[in-house]
Amino acid sequence: MADVTAAVTAIPLVPFAAFLVALLVGHYAPRALPKGGALPGIAATAISLVLSVWAFLTVGAGGATVSQVWTWVPAANDSFALTFGLLLDPLSALMVVVVSGVSLLVHVFSLGYMNDEGETGLARYYAGLGLFTASMLAFALASNLLQAFVFFELVGFCSWWLIGHWFREPGPASAAKKAFLVTRFGDYFLLVGLVGVLGTFGTAAFAGDASFPALAHAALEGEASVNTFGVDPATWFTILGLLILGGVIGKSAQFPLQTWLPDAMEGPTPVSALIHAATMVAAGVYLVARLYGFYALTPTALTVIALVGGFTALFAATMALVKREIKQVLAYSTISQYGYIMLGLGSGGYVAGVFHLLTHATFKALLFLGAGAVIIAMHHDEDMWKMGGLKDRMPTVYWAFLSGSLALAGIVPFAGFWSKDAVLHHALTVGLGGQPLVLFAYLMGLVAVAFTGFYTFRMVFLTFHGEPRSETARDADAASANMRVPVAILGVLAAVVGLVNVDPLKGVVGERLLFLERWLNGPLPGLAGATAEHYHELVVDVAGFHGATVSPVVSAVVSLVFALTGVALAWTWYNVPEPVEKTDALGPAKTVLYNNYYQDEFQTWLATGVTEPLANAVDVFDASVVDGVVNGVSSTSLVASDRLRRVQTGVVTTYTTQLVFGLVVLLLIVLLLGGWF
Amino acid sequence: MVPLEYYLLFSAAMFCIGVFGVLARRNALVYLMSVELMLNAANVVFVASSAHYGTISGQVFSLFTMALAAAEVAVGVGIVLVAYRKFKDIDITNPTSMRW
Repeated sequence: MADVTAAVTAIPLVPFAAFLVALLVGHYAPRALPKGGALPGIAATAISLVLSVWAFLTVGAGGATVSQVWTWVPAANDSFALTFGLLLDPLSALMVVVVSGVSLLVHVFSLGYMNDEGETGLARYYAGLGLFTASMLAFALASNLLQAFVFFELVGFCSWWLIGHWFREPGPASAAKKAFLVTRFGDYFLLVGLVGVLGTFGTAAFAGDASFPALAHAALEGEASVNTFGVDPATWFTILGLLILGGVIGKSAQFPLQTWLPDAMEGPTPVSALIHAATMVAAGVYLVARLYGFYALTPTALTVIALVGGFTALFAATMALVKREIKQVLAYSTISQYGYIMLGLGSGGYVAGVFHLLTHATFKALLFLGAGAVIIAMHHDEDMWKMGGLKDRMPTVYWAFLSGSLALAGIVPFAGFWSKDAVLHHALTVGLGGQPLVLFAYLMGLVAVAFTGFYTFRMVFLTFHGEPRSETARDADAASANMRVPVAILGVLAAVVGLVNVDPLKGVVGERLLFLERWLNGPLPGLAGATAEHYHELVVDVAGFHGATVSPVVSAVVSLVFALTGVALAWTWYNVPEPVEKTDALGPAKTVLYNNYYQDEFQTWLATGVTEPLANAVDVFDASVVDGVVNGVSSTSLVASDRLRRVQTGVVTTYTTQLVFGLVVLLLIVLLLGGWF
Repeated sequence: MVPLEYYLLFSAAMFCIGVFGVLARRNALVYLMSVELMLNAANVVFVASSAHYGTISGQVFSLFTMALAAAEVAVGVGIVLVAYRKFKDIDITNPTSMRW
C-alpha cells in the first residue's frame, strides 16, 4: 500500500509547500505572489481536501493502515526508536476531511476579510494559515504520541503567530502571548506524560498490537508486564492519563485553562473560525479520542474528563450570557461546546464525542465566518448593542447564521441537536448506571443547554433583528461573494450534517442509518484495537461503566425542552424593535459574569500575589543562608590557610624540625596510650 | 648471646645521633650522612629482631632498606651538586624559595 502512504503523506505536505511559497516569495518577490499568498493556499488546501476525501474513501474500502515514514532516532542497545508515521483509520480520515475542508473555506473567506479590506502583511498571514493547516493535518494523522506532541506544539505556535497578526496593537500582541503561555502550561503535563509513556511501554504508538494502549490493556489483564516504576498498573495508567489530559485541557480551553481562548478573539476572524473554533481547539479532544483505548482503561481519568467537561460546559455558558461582543459570545460558546465533547468522551461515549466534534467544527466555523461578515459590514465594530436589523442588509449571511445558531442551540433537526443529544443521552445512561459523578456532570451539561439556547438567540436577535441601533448598522453593506459562498456552504452543512448519526431515532430507523457509528465501528483489518466497538467493550469491561436503559427519545425531549426554554426567553426579551439589556436584572452577578468570574484577576494575583513573594522569599533565603554557608566555608578556609601556610619557610631545617617534633608527639601518644608512664 | 634490648638501645642511640645531625648540621653532606645513620639504625633493629625470633623476613627488609638508601643518596647527592652550582656552597639553609 505504498501509494496510499505516499498520497496520505502529501496531505500535510502540500499546505506546507504553500507555507514555504508564501514565506519565501512573499519575502523576496512580494509582487509575484498572487493575492498575497491566498491562491497558493487555496490550491494547496483544495488538493489536500481531494486527497483527504480519497483517503476517507480508501478507509471506507478497508484501507485503514499504519505506516512508518521516518525514523528520527533509531533504536540502539535495547532502547526504543523515535519515529514519525501515518495512522489512517476512520477517526483520522474523518478529521483530515474536516480540517482541510474548513481550511479551504477559511482561505476563500479570507479573500473577502483580509484582501478586500486592504490589510497589510498578507504573505505573513497566509504563510501562517498554511503552516497551521499542515501541522494540524500532520497531527491528525500522527501514528504515535511523540509525533502528535511535536505537531501539537506547532499548531500552538501557529496560533500565537495568527492571533498576533496585528502585532503593532497592544491587544493582539498580549493575547498571542497569553494563548501561547497558557496552552504551554498544559503542554508541560503532556510532555511529562509522553516521557512517562515512553518510559513505561517503550513505545508511544497509537494503534496496532504493539501500541501502548494495547500493552496497557494486556498489562491490566496480567498478560504482559510493563515498567510501572513500582506503582500499581491501574494507578500508574491513571496518572499517565491525567498528565496527558493536562495538554488536552490547555489546548481545548477547558476549565481552569480556558482563559486564553476569549482573548484569542483579538486575531482576525477567519483565524478564529479555523483555529479557535473548528480545528486547533479540537486537537485536545481529538487526542483523547485518539487515545481512547488508553483512557477507557481508567475509570478515574474518564470521570475526571466527564466532570471537567460538564463543569466547563456550564461555566462557560454562564459567561456567554452577558457578553456584548459577538465574537466573545462565540468564544465562550466554543469553550462550552468542547465541554460537551469532553463530557461525551468522559462518559464512555466515544461515538457521541466524535460526532459532536464533527458537527461543532461545522456550525462553529460557520458562526465565526458569519460573525466575520457582520464585523466587516460593521467596519470592525463588534458590539452587538450597536448592530440590529442586519438581516435585511445581508440575507444570505443571516439565513446561514440562523442555521448555525439553531445547530448550536440544539434545535431539531439541525446538527447540534443530534450530537449534543447523543452526548447527553450517553452521560445520562452511564450516570444512572452507577456513576453519580458522571450524573452530576450530566446535570451541569443539561442546565447549560438552556443557557446555550438563550445566549445563542440573544446574539441572533441583537445582531440581525430589530431596528438598527447605530449609523454603521443602518448603512451596512452586503457581504461580498467570496464571504457569502463559504458561509452558505457551511450553512447547508450545519443543517444536514447531524443526519449522519440520528442517535435518538435509533429505535425508529434502525442501526442502518447511524452512518457515523458504523463508520467508527469498523471492522478494521489489522487495527482491531482502534474501533468504537472495541472502545465500548473496554469502557464496559475494564472501566466498569455500565449504562442504564433510558430511551433516547426521552433524553432528547428533555434537552430539547431546556433548549427551547432558553430560546423562548431570548425571543421574548430581545426579538423586539428596541431591545434593552434584560440581564442587568442580575445586578452584581452580571458584573461577575461579565468579568469572567475574575479569573484573569485571580491568575494575575496568583502570579503577583503568591508566586512573586514566594520567589522573593526563596531568593532571600538563597542569598543569605545558602550563599552564606558557601561563602562562609570558603572565606574560613581562605583565612585559615593564609595563617597556616606561614609554617612553610622554605628552609629544609625547619621542615626537619617539624618532622622530628611530629615524631616525638606521635611517640608520646603511643607511649601514653600504651601505659608506659 | 647478646640480649635483644642491647641492640634496641644501640639502635635508638644511633637514631638519635642521626636526628641530632639532621637538626643541627648545615653541611649538606653531613646532613645526608645523618639520614644514613637513621636508616641504618632501623636496619640494626631488623637484623637483630630477625636473629632473635628466628625468621628471615627482617633480614630481607634490611636489604630493601639498603637499596632504598642507595637510591636516596643518588638523588640527594644530585641535589647537593645543583645547590653547589647555584650557591657556590653546600649550606642547606641557603635554598629558601621552596615554599608558597
